[in-house]
Amino acid sequence: MTNNKRTKIPQGSETVFFEEAYIHRKLTEALNNLFNSWGYLPVETPVFDLFDAYRPLIPAENTDKVYRLIDRDGDLLMLRSDITLFLARQMGLILTEKELPVRICYSDSILRHQDSDDISHNEFFQSGVELIGKPGFEGDIEILLLLSRTISLMDIPAEIHLGSRSLFNTVFKAFSENDKNEILKMTSLRNFNELIDFCTPVMGKEKAEKTAELFSYIGNAKDLKKFIDEINKDEINYLINIVETLEKAGCADNVHIDLSEAGSQSYHTGIVFQVYMQKVDSAIISGGRYDSLLSNFGIPAPSVGFSMLQRKIEPGIKNIERFALPKIEKTLEESDIVNSFKKAEKLRSEGKIVTL
Amino acid sequence: MTNEPLLFALPKGRLMEKSQELFNSMGIKFSFDNRKLVADDQTGEFRFFLVKNSDLPTYVHHGIAGLGVCGSDVIYESGKDFYKLHTFSYGSTKMCLAGLKGAHNNGNDAALKVSSKFTRFTRDYYNSKNTPVEIIKLNGSVELGPVLGLSPYIVDLVETGNTLRANNLEVIKELSDIKVHLIANPAYYKINYKRINKFVEDIKKGEENWNREKQK
Repeated sequence: MTNNKRTKIPQGSETVFFEEAYIHRKLTEALNNLFNSWGYLPVETPVFDLFDAYRPLIPAENTDKVYRLIDRDGDLLMLRSDITLFLARQMGLILTEKELPVRICYSDSILRHQDSDDISHNEFFQSGVELIGKPGFEGDIEILLLLSRTISLMDIPAEIHLGSRSLFNTVFKAFSENDKNEILKMTSLRNFNELIDFCTPVMGKEKAEKTAELFSYIGNAKDLKKFIDEINKDEINYLINIVETLEKAGCADNVHIDLSEAGSQSYHTGIVFQVYMQKVDSAIISGGRYDSLLSNFGIPAPSVGFSMLQRKIEPGIKNIERFALPKIEKTLEESDIVNSFKKAEKLRSEGKIVTL
Repeated sequence: MTNEPLLFALPKGRLMEKSQELFNSMGIKFSFDNRKLVADDQTGEFRFFLVKNSDLPTYVHHGIAGLGVCGSDVIYESGKDFYKLHTFSYGSTKMCLAGLKGAHNNGNDAALKVSSKFTRFTRDYYNSKNTPVEIIKLNGSVELGPVLGLSPYIVDLVETGNTLRANNLEVIKELSDIKVHLIANPAYYKINYKRINKFVEDIKKGEENWNREKQK
């Protein structure tokens, strides 16, 4: 066998070259400029941390996707697999309640294992924002408006599907945590026949069928009103109010209320949303409210935010030339390198890209 | 809303023939001429891809095809999550434990040695029963396992049982019902849910009519 170490590439790793890397950096810069203009300041999180600090917050089915290693003291470490989690711990270390609310943004790599037949990568680039310490409606609306602006900046054909973990928790409050996790899976996979069978012994068949119909709903705020009852009225009215406010702001064109979205992470508590895009195989942006996550790290601060898998989005951005490398306008071929340098500097001061 | 056709993967073989027959009866007409693997229906509403059965979940998982017709056995082996939007009336079969007639212990062994294409299903099924199982992965002609002494048992799909009988094998236990589903990539569904929901309604009605016509 020949020694192929020079050419062998580990499964899931990615290098981005030249023009593509330039576009990636320019888009990251544009996103961060937008976030900064809304008062969100950057945070850099460590690339690895102690696994035990996060173990209770990572669902069992996701644990095997986390890369783990052991440091020289024998502590189990994990590579950064979700920036929100790592941010929560860092914020818990430095923030006090007096400093809230705090607005932060980030753009960084995360590492997660994907199956070997997966054509995506193990290394992802995640950009996002977190609004820490702003509870309820005002915080939710701010994040959804910023999400709308973020999508507009990128100019992508995106659809926002908005649901509610608090609605889910209210409707299924009679079930144990384990049963709720089972129901959450059925709901997110839109497996409503199974949900009816599972819930009938507790709710009765008629109520189980009505509940399945409610959580299968995708549509506008107006048509959702017919589902309001005594149990769910606060949660549904809240969602309707959110969408109607987005409509007034002119930011609801691509928003669908989708009650099968009940949150992909165990730490979600309120609104949750995922953003989908034509020709991309999974959600490109995920977000929502997580009011109890930070209390795990010492600071009780209701929070809401979103993160995007930026590399999945980049091929679908319209007018990508906005972020492309400007043409190299002149290559100087002066025999005197000093003259070449002086001419090049003058052209560069005019904004041109010049090679010597 | 996009006017692009809905992208639909069909598995080669009998399931494709049955699906094509059903779609034809609903007015969705297409054919894979001259060994082509891509075909549009006459309205331009659908684009069909003809793929190997076991590869179908991969195409749908990556959104190359948004929809597909796939057995629950193949879905389970893929380990991927899909929306199951409809269960078809055709293609049902059973996943069974089988062995050589008169030469097995009815599956009551302390530990089982099983040849199978369905390694994920076999592992999970017997793990859930707290039965240790050694699995030998085969890609076809699984019946040869017990015949040639590779393993006393097989786990395989059994439809009529003719292949088992021809090789002196018998069903020991039915492990699971296998159904054929219309599956969707979740993100593809979210983008196209109005068109897909309409299609699912059409297919439910169309299949009822199709079955009624066949019974006449």
